[in-house]
Amino acid sequence: MKKTKVKPKDTQNNSKMCIISELCSMSPVFVKPGMSPKEIVSAVRSLKGVCLTSVGMRDAGQSDFKNRHRIYDLKTLAPYYNNMGLFSAETHGGARWHVGIMNRREDPFEECQILRELMPNVLLQTLIRETNLWGYRPYPKNVIEYVVSRVDIDVWRCFSFLNDVRNMRTVAEVVMKRGRLFEPTISFTVADWTTNEYYLKVVDDMVDLCGGIDEIVLCIKDMAGVGNVTRIFNIIDAIKQKYPELVINYHRHITDGLAIPALLSAAKAGAKIFDVQEDSLVRFYGHSPILSVQAIFEESGIPVHINRAEAEGAVQRVREWINYYDWAESPFKGLDHNVTHHKMPGGAFPSSFEQAQKAEFLHLMPYILKMMSLYNKVVKYFDVTPGSQITWVTCSGIINKYAKEKGDAGVRHIIDLMARFVEQKGQEFEALTEDEQIELLELFRNAPGDFKNLLLGNYGKLPVGWPAEWVYRSTFGEDYRERLKERKETSPLDAIEKDDLDKLRNDLSNTLGREPNEEEFILFLMHPKDALEFIEFREKYGDAPLVLPTDVWREGLKKPGDRVDFELFGKPYTIELVSIGAEHEGVIHVVMKVNNKTRVYKVDTPRAKKSEIRMAKGSNEIGSPINGNVWRIGNTKRGAIKAGDIVQRGEEIINLEAMKMENAIVAPFDAQIVEVCVKLNDTVQEGQLLFVVEQVQK
Amino acid sequence: MNREIKKVLVANRGVPAVRIMHTCRDRRIPTTAVYSTPDRLSHHVFMADTAVHIGDAPPIESYLNMQRIIDAAIASKADAIHPGWGFLAENEKFAQMVIDAGLTWIGPSQRVIKLMGDKIEAKEIAKKANVPTIPGISKVSNTDQIRKWVKDEKIALPIMIKASAGGGGKGMVKVENIEQLDQAFAQACSEAKKSFGDDTVLVEKYIEKGRHIEVQIVGDEQGNVIHLFERECTLQRRNQKIIEEAPSPSLTDDLRGEICFTAVRLMREIGYTSAGTVEFIFDVLAKKFYFLEVNTRLQVEHGITELITGLDIVDLMLDVAMGKKIPFRQADIRPNRWALEVRLNAEDPKTFSPSFGTITRLEIPQGPGVRISSGIYEGASIPPYYDSLFMLLMTAGADREDAVRTMDRALSRNLRVEGIKTLAPLLLSIIRHPAFIKGEFSTRFIEEHMDELISMFKEKTGEDEALKVARYVAEISALGPQKWM
Repeated sequence: MKKTKVKPKDTQNNSKMCIISELCSMSPVFVKPGMSPKEIVSAVRSLKGVCLTSVGMRDAGQSDFKNRHRIYDLKTLAPYYNNMGLFSAETHGGARWHVGIMNRREDPFEECQILRELMPNVLLQTLIRETNLWGYRPYPKNVIEYVVSRVDIDVWRCFSFLNDVRNMRTVAEVVMKRGRLFEPTISFTVADWTTNEYYLKVVDDMVDLCGGIDEIVLCIKDMAGVGNVTRIFNIIDAIKQKYPELVINYHRHITDGLAIPALLSAAKAGAKIFDVQEDSLVRFYGHSPILSVQAIFEESGIPVHINRAEAEGAVQRVREWINYYDWAESPFKGLDHNVTHHKMPGGAFPSSFEQAQKAEFLHLMPYILKMMSLYNKVVKYFDVTPGSQITWVTCSGIINKYAKEKGDAGVRHIIDLMARFVEQKGQEFEALTEDEQIELLELFRNAPGDFKNLLLGNYGKLPVGWPAEWVYRSTFGEDYRERLKERKETSPLDAIEKDDLDKLRNDLSNTLGREPNEEEFILFLMHPKDALEFIEFREKYGDAPLVLPTDVWREGLKKPGDRVDFELFGKPYTIELVSIGAEHEGVIHVVMKVNNKTRVYKVDTPRAKKSEIRMAKGSNEIGSPINGNVWRIGNTKRGAIKAGDIVQRGEEIINLEAMKMENAIVAPFDAQIVEVCVKLNDTVQEGQLLFVVEQVQK
Repeated sequence: MNREIKKVLVANRGVPAVRIMHTCRDRRIPTTAVYSTPDRLSHHVFMADTAVHIGDAPPIESYLNMQRIIDAAIASKADAIHPGWGFLAENEKFAQMVIDAGLTWIGPSQRVIKLMGDKIEAKEIAKKANVPTIPGISKVSNTDQIRKWVKDEKIALPIMIKASAGGGGKGMVKVENIEQLDQAFAQACSEAKKSFGDDTVLVEKYIEKGRHIEVQIVGDEQGNVIHLFERECTLQRRNQKIIEEAPSPSLTDDLRGEICFTAVRLMREIGYTSAGTVEFIFDVLAKKFYFLEVNTRLQVEHGITELITGLDIVDLMLDVAMGKKIPFRQADIRPNRWALEVRLNAEDPKTFSPSFGTITRLEIPQGPGVRISSGIYEGASIPPYYDSLFMLLMTAGADREDAVRTMDRALSRNLRVEGIKTLAPLLLSIIRHPAFIKGEFSTRFIEEHMDELISMFKEKTGEDEALKVARYVAEISALGPQKWM
């Protein structure tokens, strides 16, 4: 992993002259990295028509392919993007970061570096959660500052699933101070409580936070794709009337099948930037096809700032690799107009259905979606990460519990009860019979911890107030009043204590056995466990995730003679399969030629016999500093050492011999020996556990 | 008196055995190899014309088993024994046994080995021959003696405890402060016992920032003693040399002349024959050198002397053993090259912990100015029982800069060893270090610069990285798509 340098702000102005001269030329590129937010906003304002953000490299993959699109394939689009005249390319953020380190084994820093090199004209955009960033828990303020200031992204689309603008402060400050474009984002849905008045208040808060409208783009994030033609015109029109010069970006998923008319409606109301993706990438939950959008806009008299030939090139390019990802597509095929009820966002669709398929409750999906549509009338927030996960886990949990305990009839019964409660009784708890009340008071008893956190205000304030009391009773049981006292009204930015970054870096360094680089440390801050696995994977397999074509990455080489060519550090390599041996005692021998040299790889299968060697971990375990032979346990004075003995700091406790040199290992502190883990004449490995000790307190 | 040598048994393994067999082959003298059980398929076994199994893995049962070796010589009709270095090379009892068995001993006389083998006596002889020596005490049997000496002579620590019978860094322990003394003393005695069968130790003042310079000597039975100039062996880790060069960059021509002739004077005094080395420690600031010891054997680093002089020292040893006169005079020796040697040990370059196993891939440096002395081959195993040295890399050039440049190429472009860890990354860092390039270093150079040297290790090479990719392809090809796929 190479270091990605963050460009300091002042060097960016040097390129201003050439940017301006380029703007005057015929190139469709009208904004590029290095321009100040003000310059970017003013360039968008002065466009005759509208412009586009391509989400082909991020949200498209998340919405229909579970973030499995590899940079190896995505980067083939970069040369087209470079000359396309896009407003920006969303290449980063959301769950792509996490899935990248966890599954694709690519890190977001190297992705940025690769794309910067291939498309230097394009503003790189991320999608970031206001306090959760690219993870799933609220991070302390100092972590947010540390991470956001070190990621090389030009456009920061930042949202709160609660539209709690207070939570955006830290990201906004760091981004704007760096001279990058901050894009405050409204989480948008259609519900009786999401009125224009409500949204205008959110916009006011955002404008206040960012000190005006000249250095920001406002994004309306219609993550489920529920904004209909009338509603979307109406809301954008209302915002434009209050802030005529505000640049608005409409982000709309296509799940309901009505995205293109909604985009057109938004354009007529004055939105300036639209999210699109390659036509060939479009499935059911992502975004509108770029070529179609361009065509309908032009036909409607709205000029689209895009080089169509380049866009066509990119669309064609996708067809060359998209078939390698059939396996990653959502099992739930087709559009779903019912999204206007259940509100499951595009990004969560494929992963939720994958989970349902794996856990074998795909048949319950219609009930779960129905439960979601009722649930989000009871607990009001926006179904986007992490809210969408809370909704999903809570509702799928309820339906699964009923299915397990009471079968299909039970499932239908609870849906029916909830529907009557919400739709007929106007959520009046007292209007239910006693039995029904008792049942609802059990409804959330097994809800996930994050649901409880949400109710207690740990994510911030809910958009239109806390849920009714019965929800708390149902969740926390009879001592719910005590728990209610914990409920916070503050932003998590103020509530969460700072992390000790030096200590965390030290922890990582100890785990790795070397100094981590800056990128590794940031990955660790976001997802500690997965980052460690990622680093381990890359230490073992190098750049395999970056250089192997997707079919080989997924399935390897299949038959003798199959080969894969790639380049590494500017030199050509070829791996050719010679043979794969039969499994014997858990081992398969694979013979390959690497640049013509034959090599035999011993591959352990899951059935391989594990010869367990205990390695020393932590300060109470003493490990061997070398590979060697145990020739004395204890020392000449005391004789042998056994469990229970007390040893003094600096006292020799074992002596290892290797290549005729003796190596005395001494007690690191006054300690009692808990366990002697080796025997005399054992051969030990470097790092192997020799003793478990316990420090003796003085 | 001329003796014929018809077949040589090389009482050694690995690098020295192979080295000696090379010259024997040049002279069309057949050879016998001896091997322990784990060395059955070793390189030296197949270099020889005959090979005899002499015992199990522990050296005491095989390469230190004198009777077995002599029996092997007789059985294989060898009439001479070359001990190489290490093992029995400086064992006067063995030398005597060889002669008593009616065989020719290729090395200095048993008398000289005995005389110089006792470090304490050697120092006395040096003093008598007017060779300067380091302050110290000998025949130490307990730590009180050391404490008393430190006090009486006002010796500033560190001091060094050494096995009287020692060499090669074994049984040598440095004591930085007096609290370490007990443990260090015990370790030195124990190692001395294990390596040399004798736990007598001596103690000396440790010369800080000292340089280690040694003079190569050859002598014949006709009384000729000639020096082949000096070698600088200052770069050591744990008192074992890892980089050597000739000539020494520390000396002026005047000092060079002085140190070489001092060595010749001593060796002539004791009637030295065959090849041997006089070691000195050189105090750079004071421009003074002190006698350390005489190594009564062929040394690991003899090759660089061969490179600068064009001679073959093993060849000379054979001549001398046959009773022949050295075929040149002192004035004939005119070195015209600069040579460098690095020792490729099978060790972790960061921790020096031994790394044994199978060499799965071996690519040996080539190109102008390179000489390799190897004890292994691709596919060979490095067993845990013996010394970790498995290959010597030597380069030569018109001057020091040239030799260093060639070594850089050899280490960074040509050499590839897979399956075990080697010192190569550390060696490369050292020869690239500005202080080394300027010739400014002491015996403590490595410990003083270790972190910096490690930070200079090149992290990735294209080939290593490609092999990681290949490992992935192998696993996925054998096991099928990963779980999440």
